[in-house]
Amino acid sequence: MSDPSGIHPRRVWSSLWLSVGALYFLLPLAATFLFSLHGRKGGLSFVAYAHVFADPQFSRTFLFSLEMAAATIAAGLVLMVPTALWVHLRLPRVRPLIEIFTLLPFVIPPIVLVFGLIRVYSRPPLILVSSPVLLVAGYVVLSFPYIYRTVDTGLRAVDLRVLTEAAQSLGARWLTTLFRVVLPSIKVALLSAAFLTFSVVVGELTLAVMLAWPAFGPYMALVGRDLAYEPAALAIISFLLTWGSLLLIQSFSRGLKGTTAGGVH
Amino acid sequence: MPVTSLPAEGARRARLPFPSWVGEWAGLLPFFVFALAFMILPAGVLLVGSFQDARGGFTLINVSHLLRPAILRSYLLTIEVSFVSAIGGALFGFLLAYSVTLGGASPAVRGILLTFSGVASNFAGVPLAFAFIATLGRVGLITTLVKAIFGISLYDAGFNLYSFWGLSLTYLYFQLPLMVLIITPALDGLRREWREASQNLGASTAQYWRHVALPILMPSLLSSIILLFGNAFGAYATAYALTGGLINLVPIQIGAQIRGDVLHDPNLGYALALGMVVVMTLSILGYSALQRRAARFMR
Amino acid sequence: MKKHPRVLLAALLAVGVGTAAAAAPSVLTQAPANFNDLVAAAQKEGQLTVIALPHDWVNYGEAISTFAKKYGIKINELNPDGGSGDEIEAIKANMGNMGPQAPDVIDVGLSFGPDAVASGLLAPYKVRTWSTIPAGVKDPNGYWYGDYYGALAFEVNLDVIKTPPQDWSDLLSPDFKGKVALSGDPRTANQAIMTIGAAALANGGGFDNPKAGLDFFAKLSKVGNFVPLIAVPGTVDSGETPVTIRWDYNAMSNRDKTDGNPNIGVIIPASGVVAGVYVQAISAYAPHPNAARLWEEFLYSDEGQLIWLKGYGHPIRYADLAARNVIPADVAAAMPPASFYAKAVFPTLDQQATLKKYIADNWDSVVNVQVSSNQ
Repeated sequence: MSDPSGIHPRRVWSSLWLSVGALYFLLPLAATFLFSLHGRKGGLSFVAYAHVFADPQFSRTFLFSLEMAAATIAAGLVLMVPTALWVHLRLPRVRPLIEIFTLLPFVIPPIVLVFGLIRVYSRPPLILVSSPVLLVAGYVVLSFPYIYRTVDTGLRAVDLRVLTEAAQSLGARWLTTLFRVVLPSIKVALLSAAFLTFSVVVGELTLAVMLAWPAFGPYMALVGRDLAYEPAALAIISFLLTWGSLLLIQSFSRGLKGTTAGGVH
Repeated sequence: MPVTSLPAEGARRARLPFPSWVGEWAGLLPFFVFALAFMILPAGVLLVGSFQDARGGFTLINVSHLLRPAILRSYLLTIEVSFVSAIGGALFGFLLAYSVTLGGASPAVRGILLTFSGVASNFAGVPLAFAFIATLGRVGLITTLVKAIFGISLYDAGFNLYSFWGLSLTYLYFQLPLMVLIITPALDGLRREWREASQNLGASTAQYWRHVALPILMPSLLSSIILLFGNAFGAYATAYALTGGLINLVPIQIGAQIRGDVLHDPNLGYALALGMVVVMTLSILGYSALQRRAARFMR
Repeated sequence: MKKHPRVLLAALLAVGVGTAAAAAPSVLTQAPANFNDLVAAAQKEGQLTVIALPHDWVNYGEAISTFAKKYGIKINELNPDGGSGDEIEAIKANMGNMGPQAPDVIDVGLSFGPDAVASGLLAPYKVRTWSTIPAGVKDPNGYWYGDYYGALAFEVNLDVIKTPPQDWSDLLSPDFKGKVALSGDPRTANQAIMTIGAAALANGGGFDNPKAGLDFFAKLSKVGNFVPLIAVPGTVDSGETPVTIRWDYNAMSNRDKTDGNPNIGVIIPASGVVAGVYVQAISAYAPHPNAARLWEEFLYSDEGQLIWLKGYGHPIRYADLAARNVIPADVAAAMPPASFYAKAVFPTLDQQATLKKYIADNWDSVVNVQVSSNQ
């Protein structure tokens, strides 16, 4: 949306808010970064970063968490998108119940969830306690609030009823409607859901540690426990790595066809 | 936006030998089964301990402890912190999201904001607390800079990061990005045509917002606020690292009873967690009522 | 003691359940006549799961790697960050689970031992060196046994603080304005609550009368010296909390890790010296019961005890080791002089209970931390 007439008051405000926002978000990161450079006495040095990269556990745990994140995003979207669609199209009055279910993960302490999962799934009939399936299931539960809320908001922003009924009157079956009409129109929401889930999984600590998995969250906590400069370096590194991963996901999604409803772009 | 009805879909659907309401709920079955299996059942197995004593017998004593003034105060405090950071996060997050949707920022800036928000939304816990300590703590970056440049000592002037407002400020770091990510699709959905139409009808910007845009956005705004509220309500690690021992939040009390080295009354901890579930459920019901009223503004 | 019948019943139950859950191996209550039988049984199990053992906490890192190498047994490490509550709840949650999520052995605060026995979570075992463990810190039936102790010390960032405090009263001086912090939340962390007990001891009170300790911290807060932030190595090194109080072995370990960047000083206070004991125990539901027993034998052997001493913790058999002259000179020299510990007070279980209850009820009010949105 370009404005050939020059400075538009809306743009001034936008630049202002974005600058304030940038300041708020970047200053703490800058302070952490500065602190991480004090690994060696009497001057700035990247030695803390060298220590982190030299640790084989760093890459091992990060890759493991990446895999878990991918699995969680896939499972979470497959579960939640049809559910959100169903609520929108068929059963709006069940909305409060779904809201309660999807917001519960916020108030169930993760330690309660993981001990419960262990108790239930460490004995017959379903022994899943040592399977990564249980970890991914736990992660999907933790992502409920984020995935449902983003998809729900995205669905609100499009005229779902008109779109689906129009597609069906054109003869499309529901699967085609789903993939060729609905999903592309909520692409931004799906991306947001993926971003949020990714971050949740990569940083998650309690589930991974109690289920005895070599994940990134426990690794960060271990480093952060005892050392001073390495955890700061690790925080910056993990921030940049996660950000890079999300940028990759975003550029990959640009290649996929999609629209943003309203056509602001 | 009128919806014309289309040829009966029922004609194409197979006739199933069940009553119609089974078909109504069938699509939600996967979700409910999953939620029951991996959330309700596991949590329930432990939270039932709220009603048990140390030997497993039934008791209401843990629940009665919840009504002690100290514990009620800590629930109130937790609600306050969550509410403040939810409103603050919603407001500033909305402004940021606005900047990259209707505010005309370039696609590159939008991409950066959205991906950054994805990372920052979960930058919580010890790293976040430490980042803020390193920035606004007694020997933090900003504190020392302000002292060096302006000669003012922030802490002598009364500022204190280790306080209610310091914690809320820190919580904004993950609340703001969450708001940005949720509300951006909704803002995208505000059709340009509506803006132009309202301008053609002679409405000012303020009128457009008050009568067109905000009512349309209200459901999404409300649902975002409740999400942010829940997000802050259950937060533990950040609060412990920044103000542990100082601000008496319920998640910290739960941690003290279930995980700590000092107190060890897990049944009380489970009762506290159950209390949080109740508070959350009540908040959601209240918000749902608000949603229904807001929906009346539309069509 | 009236407790015996119930404890015995719990023991039988624990053994019964233990044998039921772990089908084949025998559940020993003391070392077999031929020690190599235990070694062989443990090696057959091949694994050991430990919980809440940070590598730099009394040199557990070396203990773990030495054990693993010596016997060829793989060690699964759960939740190094965990507290005693985590360990107990992990046993409870994993009853019947034979996987690597179930802890075999635990290392918990003294007061958690008897509670765990009452809940039937522990299996009794008396190591070969049982008789050299002082009577006051072990369960007579072998359910739990003290492993190491240390005294609370001031950990000071010497690059920021030029004259470190030598005693509790020094902390009140204006030199320490905005500089003193606890190493944990007193309702959650053992070190923090013992700190308050130590302050009470140094100020005319004691564990039976903890009010003096809370008053001390109230005063510290009033004169502006108390920083309401939990002191971790990061905040000590950055200068945000340059003075804190934690177990001497942790403080000395932190000092070694910073390697002068910054310089850390560890000072045992002149008065109000409090020592705390942690206890070992074997889970009644341990998936690897023989490996668990072998681990305990290792920890209570001279070799294991000296590994802890290298980590600056006083092993529980210290007196016995010293009497037999088996402590290497360099290891002994690295510890603070014994005279510093001469006045150390070991709070009993009852005293700890009194302290805990008092702090839990009064911490909020006394230290002026009724924070609300008005502040």
